Amino acid sequence: MAAVRKWTGLGLGVWALGLALALSLPGAPWKQPRPPLFPWEMLGPTVLALVALALLAPLLAWRTGPALARRRVLALLEAPPDLLWGALVLALWPPTWGPPGVGAWLLAFLAAALPGETRWLAQALPGEWPFPQAWGGAAVRRVRQLSLTRLWGRWLAARLPVWLTATLVLEQVLGRPGFGTDWMTRVVVRDRTGLCLWVLALALLWSLNQGAEEEVP
Amino acid sequence: MRHPLQALYLVVTVLFTFAPLSAQMVEESLAQDPGPLDFIRGDSYEQWILQSLAGDALVGLSAEGRLVPRLADRWEAQADGTVRFHLRSDARYPDGRRVRAEDVVWTVRQLLQQPQASPTKRAVLEGATVGSDGGQPWIRSPRPPGRLLMELARVPIAQAGHPEGGSGPFAFRKEPGAWVFTRREHFLRPRIDGIRFRLLPDPGGVATALEKGWLSLGAPATRRQAQPPPTHRLVIQPMHAQLVVWSRLGAGPLRQLEQWRKDAFPPHLLGQNARPSRGLWPETLGFRPRAIAGNPAPDPGPAMLRLLYGAGEASLEKLLLALRERARRDGIDLQLRPLEQGLLAERLQKGDFQLACSMVVFEPHPWAVLEYLEPQGPMNFTGWGHPRLADLLVRLRQPGGPAWGDLQDLWAREPAALPLLDFQSVIWVDRRLQVEPSPMGLYLPTPGAAGWRWRL
Repeated sequence: MAAVRKWTGLGLGVWALGLALALSLPGAPWKQPRPPLFPWEMLGPTVLALVALALLAPLLAWRTGPALARRRVLALLEAPPDLLWGALVLALWPPTWGPPGVGAWLLAFLAAALPGETRWLAQALPGEWPFPQAWGGAAVRRVRQLSLTRLWGRWLAARLPVWLTATLVLEQVLGRPGFGTDWMTRVVVRDRTGLCLWVLALALLWSLNQGAEEEVP
Repeated sequence: MRHPLQALYLVVTVLFTFAPLSAQMVEESLAQDPGPLDFIRGDSYEQWILQSLAGDALVGLSAEGRLVPRLADRWEAQADGTVRFHLRSDARYPDGRRVRAEDVVWTVRQLLQQPQASPTKRAVLEGATVGSDGGQPWIRSPRPPGRLLMELARVPIAQAGHPEGGSGPFAFRKEPGAWVFTRREHFLRPRIDGIRFRLLPDPGGVATALEKGWLSLGAPATRRQAQPPPTHRLVIQPMHAQLVVWSRLGAGPLRQLEQWRKDAFPPHLLGQNARPSRGLWPETLGFRPRAIAGNPAPDPGPAMLRLLYGAGEASLEKLLLALRERARRDGIDLQLRPLEQGLLAERLQKGDFQLACSMVVFEPHPWAVLEYLEPQGPMNFTGWGHPRLADLLVRLRQPGGPAWGDLQDLWAREPAALPLLDFQSVIWVDRRLQVEPSPMGLYLPTPGAAGWRWRL
């Protein structure tokens, strides 16, 4: 328990450092632009995207196991940057349908994020040869399930801030301003209060996850 | 099978019937989030566009830059610097209330007193007092009335107690991911149904959206601007915008830059967006090209110069690389230092630089250049000053006139800044949409977007 408290304390220290950086962000805007309104309308689609990713990635990792991390197909899908997926959706979107909406953004987000996250999980799974493969398929699936259950919380805690803020490129290419654009605009206009709220919200999500997780000695 | 086919026919018919109606909305893009519409605190180029659509200033500027009536149908300038305005009777806010003198007084006082008010507007009203007399507003300012009136064209009047409420030709509403303006009953009689702005910061995304017909107008990326799709036409308008270099090393480096700007930039890099500047102040504001006074030969100044610029714009970086190569031919090592925009602005404001460059969009009147010269001028980053300045400023009563020439001569002796490039706005406009180009852009003049119309 002492080790858990130590690491939690260290994590909180990192978030405090982030808060201090947000407060002391150097620079000044040329004029004094108003900070943007928070994009509440993107809360639903973002939660939907995160839930889809949080379920699909472990499911794929569970189905395919640690061997997936070494598959070339996954590497090929993982390699293109978000910009390419966004541009591809934009290029293929029929003109008569009008500008791409939230559905297109969700599609591009999953295409960009799912391969990388699946590899993250697959790579973290323990080896399966000779055991539990020797014990049969049911044992393999059980081991994967136990491993993924243990991993899931840590994985979410580590990746959630990235997912919430790294959608910036897709939002800019597809013209769907969301959390990434909000975060970036606050940096541009030096909205230090808004950035602090962002850091606090992310720290809160992280600490909630820490409380829910119990470390097995 | 028959009923589904009939239903499909009905749906298609309805869709095609309503398509031309929805096409009356102009689809546009914004490069940056303008923030909430706020006539008191809003201060950015995108915010100006929003305010020009949803608000009315006391006076307007025509596409040619002349004063025209807007909320006030006439005004009188008095000898003590007071300007009395006569408000028109048919100007109303969206709730139906008439625009009154109290709204003018409230707006001006908020701009002067609120700490978070727009610095640009507050600078316009510095030292001013406001009041009303017989139901008509007046403003008294230490500035010459000619200058005050030109500058007031950029100060829309908000409804008293409602910083977001304007009386402009379009009603504003925020939709998810879009800023929507719809036509309302207004004395400018807008002819289009409305304008919908989407946030599209990526120039490639703008070009694709234009080619697919999702935008009625927009500025494509430089490399693609010469080939508009068949549905759009190319519109080029001069802008009151320049790429300006400030020097804290005196006029010596600026004399060198004055020589280099003539032949440093290959035409294919400039495209249609820019051409080398010829003078010290924007020609679009009526200033004749004027060279820096003194020896035109390069001074034997420092062999290494450090130039700060805003990072992230590929086209600007290419142009500056060309400038660096030109400097190298004269044996000068011009070191380019990119900085994030906020950090660059801070270095400029602190005066912590040798040379620094940035794009500047000038206000649409000649007094805009005083931002370089006045002691508290927002572009006087070098602490420039001259004992004769105060005498000359009081002689600048109208655009043109000999005092402007004297002022430019004074600046030309020891300038603190030099423009390298004059910018033009290159946009693709739907062939069916009739707009009036202007150095102020499409939105800021009067009538602006209220004068646009769809060709039948």
